[in-house]
Amino acid sequence: MTNVYIEGIGMTKFGKFIDKSMKQLLVEASIEALEDAGNPKVDAVFVGNFMGGSIGNQEILGALVANELGLGYIPTAKVEGACASGGIALRQGIMGILSGEYDTVLIAGVEKMKHASTADVTQAINAAMDNDSNEKQAGLTFPGFFGVLANRYFYETGATKEHLAMIALKNRENALNNSLAQFQKPTTMEEIMAARIITSPLGLFDCSPTTDGAAALVITRKKGAIHIRSSAQSSGPTQMQDADDLLSLPAVRESGRLAYEKAGVGPEDIDVVEIHDCFSMTEMLAIEELGFFNKREGWLAVEQGRTKATGDKPVNTSGGLLSRGHPIGATGVAQMYQLVQQLRGTAPNQVENARLALAQNLGGTGSYSTVHILERL
Amino acid sequence: MKVYQCDQCEYASVSNKYRCPSCGTGKLQERDVSSRGSVYSYTDIHIAPAEFAHLAPYTVALIQLEESKAKVTVRMDGNVQIGDMTELDHVEDGAYIYRKC
Repeated sequence: MTNVYIEGIGMTKFGKFIDKSMKQLLVEASIEALEDAGNPKVDAVFVGNFMGGSIGNQEILGALVANELGLGYIPTAKVEGACASGGIALRQGIMGILSGEYDTVLIAGVEKMKHASTADVTQAINAAMDNDSNEKQAGLTFPGFFGVLANRYFYETGATKEHLAMIALKNRENALNNSLAQFQKPTTMEEIMAARIITSPLGLFDCSPTTDGAAALVITRKKGAIHIRSSAQSSGPTQMQDADDLLSLPAVRESGRLAYEKAGVGPEDIDVVEIHDCFSMTEMLAIEELGFFNKREGWLAVEQGRTKATGDKPVNTSGGLLSRGHPIGATGVAQMYQLVQQLRGTAPNQVENARLALAQNLGGTGSYSTVHILERL
Repeated sequence: MKVYQCDQCEYASVSNKYRCPSCGTGKLQERDVSSRGSVYSYTDIHIAPAEFAHLAPYTVALIQLEESKAKVTVRMDGNVQIGDMTELDHVEDGAYIYRKC
């Protein structure tokens, strides 16, 4: 259990914003979170970001936020953990409050990717793989890793490409109700199944897009309505060939186990979930690793509609990374934005009477994972 | 094919580590094994980063070695299915290039 509460949330629209700088996106989300929290005094800032340096030539994001907002000469830092940068930034803020050093911390996450070419973005994303390895030299890509997992999953279970398409369709349908989501155009199973292949068996709709956007949170030790019951983080293998069980993401499983243990709850108690669906296949494995469904049976739950907003275990009511969008450093923070709305009763695809919520944020090909469990008091 | 085998437990990997990540106490010992193995899984990569774009589409496979618990990620010379038997053809820029056998 932590003594940390979420007091304010903010988020920009996700999409393509060529005319806005990374700083502008960060400031926009941060001001919204501060206003939502009633403009408290802030003791520290942690910013989640992955490729601001490599494709934006912009670092010192923590100090930029403090300076633009006039927060004073407080300590700040940028946190990098690939696609888990946002979740890890949040966790650093929680640790700072738990240590007694800070009372109130501003957490922000941002990425700006749409101005860069696909080749440059792909190259920058590959920084989240172990590049000093025979595996990288073989030409394995980020999506390729999840393609290899998917083919094995199909081989060992009764699942097919259609089950992945069901996940993509569900998340798109959820995004249609989320005005901040990147993709708001309806799609169909037929369109998803026929889309061009990125890395077999994954097609275009199985892969999260590149996105510009930012999200922010104000967390504090002052008791409020949204309690962070637990915060957990784990690492996992950095290479596919080192996986003990290819159909397992140990970082997800272990961070989930720790988060449940610290919160004193189990997967059966969770009312609403945001999962790191960088690929449809990642959501399939994560719903199993987090204990919502048995190993190698997640596809049955998907088929039965159990992870839809109307199901008994709603997953990615925001639209997820696949359709809300995936501004890498902002993603972990945006997951919390959706879950706080769920607990406040104001979310798109609102789950009735949601009390316990779980967010899982993944970095690399299973290299990092954070899990946070929230409770409405 | 070089693999690193734990001297305390069954763990094996194609990459060396300071200590065994499985049992936490063992040391990994270098061993030479046959490159032969079966395709554990694979993907055909159509969208590749700039440095591999000239090869696309190409197949990357995870091979379960015959003489070790270790698996190895390779680039295939041609298409494969899960279960196909394969072996090393040659090493190219640090990558293992495999072929069906």
